[in-house]
Amino acid sequence: MCNNPLKPSPHKLISIDKLTQDEWTFRIEIAEPPNFGQFYEVSLPLIGEMPISTSGIGDGWIEMTIRNVGKVSSEIHRLQPGKNIFLRGPYGNGFSIADFKDKHVVIAAGGCGVSPVRPLIEYFYNNPGYVTDIDLLFGFKEPGVVLFENDIGRWQERINTIVTVDQVCGTWDGKCVGLITEYVKDIEMPEYKNMVVVIVGPPIMMKFTAMEFMKQGVPKEQILVSMERRMSCGIGKCGHCKVDSRYVCLDGPVFRYDEAEKLID
Amino acid sequence: MSLKLSHQDFDEILGKLRQEYTIYAPRRFKDRGRFSDTDLIRYGEISSIKDMVWNEKSNFSPKEIIFPITQTIFHFTEDDYREPTIDSKKTIIFLRACDINGIRRLDTIFLKNGNDKDFYYQRLREKVKFVLVECQSSFDNCFCVSMNSNTTDNYSIAVRFNSDSLLLDIQDKDLDKYFGGVGEKVNFTPEFVTENKIKVNVPKVAEMPVEMYDHEIWDEYKSRCIACGRCNTTCITCSCFSTEDIFYDTTTNVGERRRTWAACHIDHFTDMAGGHGFRKDNGSRMRFKSFHKVYDYKKRFGEHMCVGCGRCDDNCPEYISFSNCINKISKLVNS
Amino acid sequence: MSLDLNRKKVVKNAWRITKERDKGAIRIRVPGGQMETKHFAVLNQIATEYGDGTVHMTTRQGFELPGIDFENMEAVNRMLRPIIENLEISIGVSGFDKPKDGYPTAGTRNVAACIGNRVCPYSNFDTTAFARRIEKEIYPNNFHVKIALTGCPNDCIKARMHDFGIIGMAEPQLDSSRCIGCEACVITCKKLVTGALKLHKGKVVRDERRCIGCGECVLSCPTAAWTRNPKKFFNLVIMGRTGKKNPRLAENFIQWASEELVVQVIKNTYGYIDKFIDRSLTKEHIGYIVDRTGFHDFKEFVLKGASINPEARIAQHVHWSGTFYVSDVFIGAPQGDQISR
Repeated sequence: MCNNPLKPSPHKLISIDKLTQDEWTFRIEIAEPPNFGQFYEVSLPLIGEMPISTSGIGDGWIEMTIRNVGKVSSEIHRLQPGKNIFLRGPYGNGFSIADFKDKHVVIAAGGCGVSPVRPLIEYFYNNPGYVTDIDLLFGFKEPGVVLFENDIGRWQERINTIVTVDQVCGTWDGKCVGLITEYVKDIEMPEYKNMVVVIVGPPIMMKFTAMEFMKQGVPKEQILVSMERRMSCGIGKCGHCKVDSRYVCLDGPVFRYDEAEKLID
Repeated sequence: MSLKLSHQDFDEILGKLRQEYTIYAPRRFKDRGRFSDTDLIRYGEISSIKDMVWNEKSNFSPKEIIFPITQTIFHFTEDDYREPTIDSKKTIIFLRACDINGIRRLDTIFLKNGNDKDFYYQRLREKVKFVLVECQSSFDNCFCVSMNSNTTDNYSIAVRFNSDSLLLDIQDKDLDKYFGGVGEKVNFTPEFVTENKIKVNVPKVAEMPVEMYDHEIWDEYKSRCIACGRCNTTCITCSCFSTEDIFYDTTTNVGERRRTWAACHIDHFTDMAGGHGFRKDNGSRMRFKSFHKVYDYKKRFGEHMCVGCGRCDDNCPEYISFSNCINKISKLVNS
Repeated sequence: MSLDLNRKKVVKNAWRITKERDKGAIRIRVPGGQMETKHFAVLNQIATEYGDGTVHMTTRQGFELPGIDFENMEAVNRMLRPIIENLEISIGVSGFDKPKDGYPTAGTRNVAACIGNRVCPYSNFDTTAFARRIEKEIYPNNFHVKIALTGCPNDCIKARMHDFGIIGMAEPQLDSSRCIGCEACVITCKKLVTGALKLHKGKVVRDERRCIGCGECVLSCPTAAWTRNPKKFFNLVIMGRTGKKNPRLAENFIQWASEELVVQVIKNTYGYIDKFIDRSLTKEHIGYIVDRTGFHDFKEFVLKGASINPEARIAQHVHWSGTFYVSDVFIGAPQGDQISR
């Protein structure tokens, strides 16, 4: 009999970092680190299971930033460090780090989309010179929901970073207001053929941001997006994440935009 | 080995087989049909040939035997979780050529898509032997010939039902022992339906033209389809499921993780935590299913998913004909 | 010679005294509201040879042929014989003697039925077959009783405007392992019926006290998780009526009654009428007798000796409302007027 790929294993919750009221980062013990951009099926027995991307990768741990929006996530938010959380994975293709070597990398992320690219950014931050140049472009709905503020502050010291909010309510000491698409043209792109653009966020944001980069001259083959779909199994059986002939859990979540634009739900 | 047997002789053999196998065939559930005083024909365990409906098409496919509608995947107890055990008896399924071909599609998804094999499917599937039920004529709405699924040689036994006897083509040596000394040796190989009243042309494109996705042919299904999902639940090849954890009792930590059939026509199929979902209108669900059955599955796996059993058309309460939809797609893309 | 008619006998014979002197109208019963179309030829022949060439389709699913000279009653009655043989005698109804006599009584009206499950997907039983069984049990009878059968609580036949309305009920039975939690039944029940279903731990559960047995859940279920109990049940609603005095809708008397119980209650009712009817009136409609004796005496009488199936739920009390024309109580009586009921 084969082993059971749907069987999760317990992993210790090391610590919790409360980013905003609803979005907390959970650091979880794990022996083998995943690839950048991969995800896990995370579960609590008797509560349920959901796919969550890794927002941090370290020595013996991963991080997952989980928004409290449903049955499983709200129960995870009640866990105390030291308790077990159940994981299957890692799943998906993720980003291949070699694709970025000696390239001009632009990472555009909207809202929760920052999570799956955070390990990648950390890698570039910690390995200066791996890429020739790097720009970060983050968009959030409003000042109160800006994620990873401390990280962004740190990244800004070494990396050209634009942070924009769709609308200002409350205090906002950042300079930029408006949709992420409006700031694409502010990124200097001296040589398109050496660029890799990563876009992660809600479907509409990814579509229009990609179009904006293409308008600036970046070929769609050099744009990567990470798609999010409902998943039940993560291993190509349950059918929820199938789009056209692709399974987001197996063939994605990272797709080149020339393919992604043809994946019509 | 080919044999002619009386129904009574065959029943005796079934009795012997039942010691080692659970035998499933289409059964009549009297007065359990959708409308009052109508019958439901679906798969169930049989002990006699009399229990079996062999001259009608079943409302539901045999997929529920190897891909149960509800399946517990883990039992949770206070501090443990484990897979449920299954019956050690092996399985015999009486089924038609289209369904045997359909189960190959299920095998593809559960055992070949991605690097992992589905544990729960595999352990039920490995136990199965097929008894091919010969179709003496095509039923309403069948279009197996167009889908190349009218024939198969993937069976342990093939059987032709006559009113007073059975003709058997026994291919599986494991089963020879059950047939020693009974019946009359004959020449019999099963015949297959070579023509259906319904014929479809499948779209012959490597890539679906992008304008087909929001083509006006889908508009009528926005209002016609009621998203009931019968086309999915009765289909031999639909294999989607959702997973859910259940507390049996809130005072003890006892419960289960279970999976249940899901369907791309039914609401909430694509909904994610937080509420965002895709394909809100029923026309795009019809398009998504249709392309899967006769276009993108083939692009990925090399053969069409649909086997033309026609159960979607048999069961649609709104008289939406999938076979006609395929023809509409093909007319647009093949021309 | 002027016509010397026994009006009471004529009326009992299913003929109507009409506005036009010397001309009557014959009413043809069609128990269960369904018949072979060959009978139209007979109706056509009577109407063209003896009547005025027209037919009125009655509200009770019969046919009324007007404009027939009373002197042709016997001839017309004879012509009706094939219809009577086919629709009455062949189903076991007795009391039809000589062809010239036509219908023996007209008090108990034609047993009406919606189209039922021979055709309609919503119907929970074969209304025509049950109507014919009731016809056999209660006809001929002089007592004024109106009965209608309807396949489901949609009540297309308007059974609730009858003395006995028989509404088909299906007991939905769940094979929980087949339920996929799609909520098709839950939503349908909530939107169209009584909201008797909800999802609990991924599976549907049914509130038996809210369920009215309409069968919508079975119709809407895409996996045949819901099916009907093959045993048929009925909601027997009683004492609805139209009329000049207090028209009202019938109220639930026995829910989840078996066919046997329904038949026994209706048959026992004739004994009850016989015992309590006010014989000073030319006729007394069953509903007014129940008003006089009270529901409890009626209930006790009609359930005596009846075999009550275990599923049956019998009303403890029934309250009818309806329209009372002594409604001055509501709108204010003229000065000095005495209100009496």
